[in-house]
Amino acid sequence: MPQYALVIDLNTCVGCHACATNCKEWNTQAAFGPLSDFDPYGAEPSGVWYNRIFTYETGEFPDVQVFHLPKSCLHCQDAPCVPVCPTGASYKREQDGIVLVNYDDCIGCKLCAWSCPYGCREYDEADKVMKKCTLCIDRIYDETLPPEQRKPACVLTCPAKARFFGDIEDPNSEVYKAIKERNGFVLFPDMGTNPANHYLPRTETKVNLEEFEKHILRPDNPLFLEVMKRHHVSHKAEEKQTEEVG
Amino acid sequence: MHPPLSLIFFFLTAGTSIGSFIFMYSLELLSLFGKGEGLPDEVIYKLGVFQVVLMGLGAFGASFHLGHKLRAWKAIKRFRTSWLSREAVFSGAYGFTLVLYLLMKFTDAGPIPEHIFGVSTLILGILSGFSTAMIYASNKFVLEWNTSITVIYYLLMYLMLGSSLMAYASHLYGLPYLGSFLFLTFLFVALGLGFRIAFNVRQFYIKRPTLNEALNLPHNRPIRVLDTGSTTDNFCTTEFYYKKGKELISTVLPIAYLFTFVVPLFLVVYSWITGVVNHWTLGITFLSVLFGSALERWCFFVEGNHVQNLFYGLYPEEGYRLRKGYMERKETRISLYG
Repeated sequence: MPQYALVIDLNTCVGCHACATNCKEWNTQAAFGPLSDFDPYGAEPSGVWYNRIFTYETGEFPDVQVFHLPKSCLHCQDAPCVPVCPTGASYKREQDGIVLVNYDDCIGCKLCAWSCPYGCREYDEADKVMKKCTLCIDRIYDETLPPEQRKPACVLTCPAKARFFGDIEDPNSEVYKAIKERNGFVLFPDMGTNPANHYLPRTETKVNLEEFEKHILRPDNPLFLEVMKRHHVSHKAEEKQTEEVG
Repeated sequence: MHPPLSLIFFFLTAGTSIGSFIFMYSLELLSLFGKGEGLPDEVIYKLGVFQVVLMGLGAFGASFHLGHKLRAWKAIKRFRTSWLSREAVFSGAYGFTLVLYLLMKFTDAGPIPEHIFGVSTLILGILSGFSTAMIYASNKFVLEWNTSITVIYYLLMYLMLGSSLMAYASHLYGLPYLGSFLFLTFLFVALGLGFRIAFNVRQFYIKRPTLNEALNLPHNRPIRVLDTGSTTDNFCTTEFYYKKGKELISTVLPIAYLFTFVVPLFLVVYSWITGVVNHWTLGITFLSVLFGSALERWCFFVEGNHVQNLFYGLYPEEGYRLRKGYMERKETRISLYG
């Protein structure tokens, strides 16, 4: 059974919030909008977002790493928010595994939000219904759009190309290969929700400095003089420091 | 978790209604088997109407928790999977059969239809309370609630409210069951106290998840929340983390214990020992249970910590526990505000 999902590369995500912003821009005027805002220009702005970006720091000083975690509905394969819905407004589509909310049936009891361990459902105080990421279902099936545009808004806008979209059950898809080859992982694996969205872990980037220096120190490098000047200044500073210590 | 006042109101009204009906109808049922004399019809009408009104008020009050009140009827659609749907069905059916029971009684329709509706109302009332409790107990993402203690305690509170009200009613209408209801009030309040203490003690032993588990990172790696993506609170931080409640809980919880358990137990024991039984002692016993239960429900919500708070660094700070037997113990400090 197909399962559409996002795969997010934490190695390249720079935490620019472009995905969240473009998500908001697209969805607030699209089929599952609006994403209401309250006091948007005041001291306490709030509103509905399908996608939020978190920033974490790991390690102990000075060996720390900062990474960004964009988090939207994970379209769990065993979605706990679906069976608790008393009206059936919350449902998982069989044809693509996308979890959606039927706004006409939602009574706004918030029980689905209570049953989501990821905090990915948000209550719209204006529409009085629960809202969540739809994987831009109104884009991905829109045949009036060119095929390369039939992707979620967040994927299209990501300047670092850190977001991928596709069927994680299809061995030929880009996302399936990315998960397999780069050890894609999910959030909260112990919760039994079997999330569809995956994350690609951060990996240490090795740079061959010898090769780099060989290239940068070539006289035909337009920055050759700049590099030499900086090298000279830092070399001088080092010598001075050594003398002082001596 | 943010305490919804409409749900606390529903608990108080539905609890008093169902709790008192359980005892009221039990007397009728016992009289059917030749035990006791049952209750005078006049008392049943008065109590029954009171129970119907309470249930109606509770359902009306609970609808304020919903975004779309007029669509509330749709909540019956997922009876098969949703405890909230079951609660809606059982509560509605309880109110309906209670009205029919009173009508059978009023029209003297005979013992068979009367007891058919009586027994149905009794079962539906218990199922309604059980379903409500299961909404909380079945939520495995609020570990404080995810226990059978939640269910047992919830039903005991219904019985506490019912028995203390029936003790007052026994005195008010001069019924011969005052001693029995005093004993039942004592029994259920004492049991309730035991289960509430167990509920609180259990919280110290819950194996809570850590942010590392949430982010699927190695357990021994220190991790800190730097930014949560917005400068102000959002739905998740207000619904799942009630900051003011967390500040007040240490004050409110002892007051809740005092009014729900200590004062009623003292008054019941005082009535037993001295034989002083009047409107004041019995009325204050019921009102104390009622007021204390409201505070207790407030505490119940505030005590609940949703695991999604981990992403915001708002989950209780927790030392790393040996979960799989091979990882070293590591204190992981999670704090959003430094």
